[in-house]
Amino acid sequence: MEANIKEVNLTINGVHVKAQKGTPILEVARQIGVEIPTLCYIKGLSPYGSCRICSVEITTASGRKRIVTSCNYPAEEGLVVETDSERVVKVRRNLLRLLLARCPKVTRLKNLASLYGLNEPDLWVENDSEDCILCGLCVRVCNELIRVSAINFANRGIKRTVTTPYDEFSEDCIGCGACAMICPTGSKKVRTNNYSVVRPLAAPQKDEKLGAYIDILSAKSSIEGQDGGVVTALLLSGLKNGMFNKAVVVKRKSGYRAEAVIASTPEEIMEARGTKYFRIKIVPKIKELISKGERKIAVVGTPCQVRAARKIQQILQQEHPDLDITIIGLFCFESFEYEKLKAETARIMGVNLDDAEKTQIKRGKFIVSINGHEYSCKVKELDHAISNGCPYCSDFPAFFADVSVGAVGSPDGYSTVILRTDKGKKLVENTCLEYGRVNVEEITKLSSFKKNRAKENFEPLIREIQAVRLKIRGAVGDDA
Amino acid sequence: MGMMPKEDVEAKIDMIIDKYAGKSGVLIQLLLEIQRELNWVPREAIKRINERLGIPESEIYRVVSFYTAMSLTPRGKYLVRVCTGTACYIRGAQRVLTAAEKAIGVKAGETTDDLKFTLQTVNCLGCCALGPVVEINGKYYGLLTPKTLENIISNLRGESS
Repeated sequence: MEANIKEVNLTINGVHVKAQKGTPILEVARQIGVEIPTLCYIKGLSPYGSCRICSVEITTASGRKRIVTSCNYPAEEGLVVETDSERVVKVRRNLLRLLLARCPKVTRLKNLASLYGLNEPDLWVENDSEDCILCGLCVRVCNELIRVSAINFANRGIKRTVTTPYDEFSEDCIGCGACAMICPTGSKKVRTNNYSVVRPLAAPQKDEKLGAYIDILSAKSSIEGQDGGVVTALLLSGLKNGMFNKAVVVKRKSGYRAEAVIASTPEEIMEARGTKYFRIKIVPKIKELISKGERKIAVVGTPCQVRAARKIQQILQQEHPDLDITIIGLFCFESFEYEKLKAETARIMGVNLDDAEKTQIKRGKFIVSINGHEYSCKVKELDHAISNGCPYCSDFPAFFADVSVGAVGSPDGYSTVILRTDKGKKLVENTCLEYGRVNVEEITKLSSFKKNRAKENFEPLIREIQAVRLKIRGAVGDDA
Repeated sequence: MGMMPKEDVEAKIDMIIDKYAGKSGVLIQLLLEIQRELNWVPREAIKRINERLGIPESEIYRVVSFYTAMSLTPRGKYLVRVCTGTACYIRGAQRVLTAAEKAIGVKAGETTDDLKFTLQTVNCLGCCALGPVVEINGKYYGLLTPKTLENIISNLRGESS
């Protein structure tokens, strides 16, 4: 091989290896079939060295001997690595004693500990239901892969924990479940507080692609809005019938920027017509209304906002049993970030998005209307403007809404309406709508498309997670 | 420091963020300045820093909750830190702390409703020979008795703010 200044020679368990300088020695070891146990390391995420189970003994070229974490120790010239020396085994055993004392009931830890001759915690157990080892994998996957940064560490010392800001439900969370998926101990912490698990809706029909539903219709109103103007019509009728007194809607502010606002009158609802393809936080507005004594509230939003609204409803209902939120969901394939969308639409179509009278997504095209002209490009071309998290979301038809509305599945000028709950059904029945023919297959197709995209994006991560688990399972015989 | 109107607080936060916008690695300095100016880091500050600098709220919260120099709740005008380290402890820090709690009217870790005093315990102030020691806004008071501490507190209380 040609002399490459970046290539270094090292010895792992007596075997000579060449490796790229800087590669974590854990990875170099794996390349030659030497397995080092890990808890907090998943290839593809930045190594963190917090569980320290991957400790190995190294002797540097200068003869210095010490214990390092192999997940983040870079390969260097002349390094001699021992992955299972007596000292290493002793270090790992002590680490596992500590971890087992912290989380005595976690199966994966118990399995790993049993490999080192530990069957019961032999140190003082403070809380035997503790199941988090603070390895930070969930934090890293949320920040680095999903890129929504909903969770992080908080506090310090014995109070250190993983949580959302103020330990409250976070709207940054898209409920993708990556944190729960990646957790080496299967901790409940992330799931109950942050990962927005929402109770499923009870409905006569259940479909993996369409969600739970009562009926699927195609409809239009007499209002000029997006497609059939159905959302605006639903809001107006619900407000008039007293199903709700206030609505949290997203409205354009300056230019194409948008914000969540509270609408209390038909005029205010009319002002918020038209779809905005952004992810805007709505929970603060819901909380504001509740603090002002409002209990009958409507919310309109994309599937992630719907999930947040449903979650916050389930949380706040414990305190306010009379809280009644009507959730209108919008079909959503992905949302965009304002700055990026503005730049991309300018680059591709030469338009100033801030001048747009209306934007819509139809048959894979992003259409901008300015002064009566329609400019369009393929939605695919706008990939760079997609909001963080969307590529990992698998909810197209707003599974947790009372009623979901979108263009897909309906002819031009109509909107598809999925009735999911009795409340949603009642709202639609009390609204004056004209009905058309719905093409359910189209919705199923788009929903599968989004699900598959999320699945494909998750695949490399899942492969890495499974590889790590299989290794422990292979060694012990079973696993959680 | 009385309670500032909400708009003034928001303007102040924005002014401080202005100084750091466009630079990297400034979060801690920025938060320390907000802490200095407002005597705590309010929710609004975390929200604004996120909006303007694009730093995730969870990351800002991590930093604020980590450092004892920053506070997620309003701090009083006087930060009374009673040392309960080993040397002070055996020299009667517990009695001094009890006296402080009685004189100020809140437990350790709490702040008075009038935002005049925040009472904290610390593990060592580095001047064990003077124990029991209390530090108030950077000023050290040594060789305290419950009585001398009560006097210090009542003097501070008497001051016009």
